[in-house]
Amino acid sequence: MKIVEVKNVRKQFGSSPVLCGIDLDVEKSEVVVIMGPSGSGKSTFLRCLTNLETPDEGDIRIGPHVIRINGRVTREQKKEIREMRKKTGFVFQSFNLFPHKTALENVMEGPLTIRNLPAAEAREAAGSLLEKVGLGDRKDHYPAQLSGGQQQRVAIARALSLDPTVMLYDEPTSALDPELVREVLQVIKELALEGMTMIIVTHEMGFAKDVADRVIFMDGGVIVEQGKPEQVFDHPQHERTKRFLSSTK
Amino acid sequence: MEFTMIIDSVPALLKASAMTLFLSCISVIIALVIGFFTALIRIGRLPVLHQIASVYISVIRGTPLLVQIFVIYYGLPQIGISLDPISSGIMALSLNAGAYLSESFRASILAVDKGQTEAAISMGMTYGQAMRRIILPQSLRIAIPTLSNSFIVLIKDTSLVSVITVTELLQMSSLIIAKTFEPLTIYLIAAAIYWILITCFTQLLDRFERHSSKHLAQ
Repeated sequence: MKIVEVKNVRKQFGSSPVLCGIDLDVEKSEVVVIMGPSGSGKSTFLRCLTNLETPDEGDIRIGPHVIRINGRVTREQKKEIREMRKKTGFVFQSFNLFPHKTALENVMEGPLTIRNLPAAEAREAAGSLLEKVGLGDRKDHYPAQLSGGQQQRVAIARALSLDPTVMLYDEPTSALDPELVREVLQVIKELALEGMTMIIVTHEMGFAKDVADRVIFMDGGVIVEQGKPEQVFDHPQHERTKRFLSSTK
Repeated sequence: MEFTMIIDSVPALLKASAMTLFLSCISVIIALVIGFFTALIRIGRLPVLHQIASVYISVIRGTPLLVQIFVIYYGLPQIGISLDPISSGIMALSLNAGAYLSESFRASILAVDKGQTEAAISMGMTYGQAMRRIILPQSLRIAIPTLSNSFIVLIKDTSLVSVITVTELLQMSSLIIAKTFEPLTIYLIAAAIYWILITCFTQLLDRFERHSSKHLAQ
């Protein structure tokens, strides 16, 4: 069953094209890793999926929510985009935790504001999500009192708080010190084992080999190559993929 | 120097200080409301209102407060709007401070990291929800030091409304001096009272700033 269906997403910044018609289907429980050199459009593509960046055109379906964009976004579409976002967990490179709220309050925010859950119920749900990411003992800490890895794990718990049908990660470990990368990847891997559908933009090759069902290599705003991790990493078909892989070895 | 004369003048000065405090507090509250909404209007670029807000801020910041007071008190009656001295004073002070506060609010809202809005709307919040729950609480903390400045200026500026016969601290001091011929002492007492008022005010805001920054403590 396809959870995500994307057709012909195009985006231009000024006169320079960033996305030149991207198609992507993601099956339920599939883990898709998107790789590529910086400026290849992978982050922009991920942001276009939930309209954090509005594509110039393209059809996007996530779960039951369909957005067809061609030029201006209408009022009805904005509503549909909000509904789509409620079901899509987004994890940012720079965490973007709410600094004036504790870890627990960060995770409660969505259920409280979006779902109007009673505080006690939201508190309990948020507590168990923090346990799940291994931060049960950090509930009342403010983001400034947490390490980068801990902050990103809170951010993942926050993204999970509205029971997303798909999780999107925009370079979740790029802002972390090397020794903190593992704890975050471990949490993502556990989610993969639980069957969460995920699209992950990352530079962590080892992680991609380990967790991804499919690796997509993007360059110049197009998908150059995709396939099983061993296929893309060990037997890349395209010159650009080969060059990228050898440059990162 | 007649010591008893000075003692006798203190109750009157304190009563006039109450007027100064009253003018300051009412004007601060109105100015906060004006400043807050004009800031939102300008950030949201609401059509028409946005232009009106910009003209308002430009005119207020580009003209002296004393002129604004005269226009409101002496000028407006000519087109049928007569306000008593106290109302005129409050109107001038709050319109004036509102323009400055508006800029403080605007800057502090824009100073909140863009990622905060993105995180909020990526959960499915509306722009309004993101503003209310995430952006404004953070921008308020950023705004406090500049708000503090504007409040200090506002308290001092209440002395200007003495020119339209509001019996606040400065006006009362002058009245007492006319009877006692003790300008140095009386004006120094007036200065001391201003200083105490303003110090109390800044202490209050400092405490508020510390309170709202507690999440930043390591």
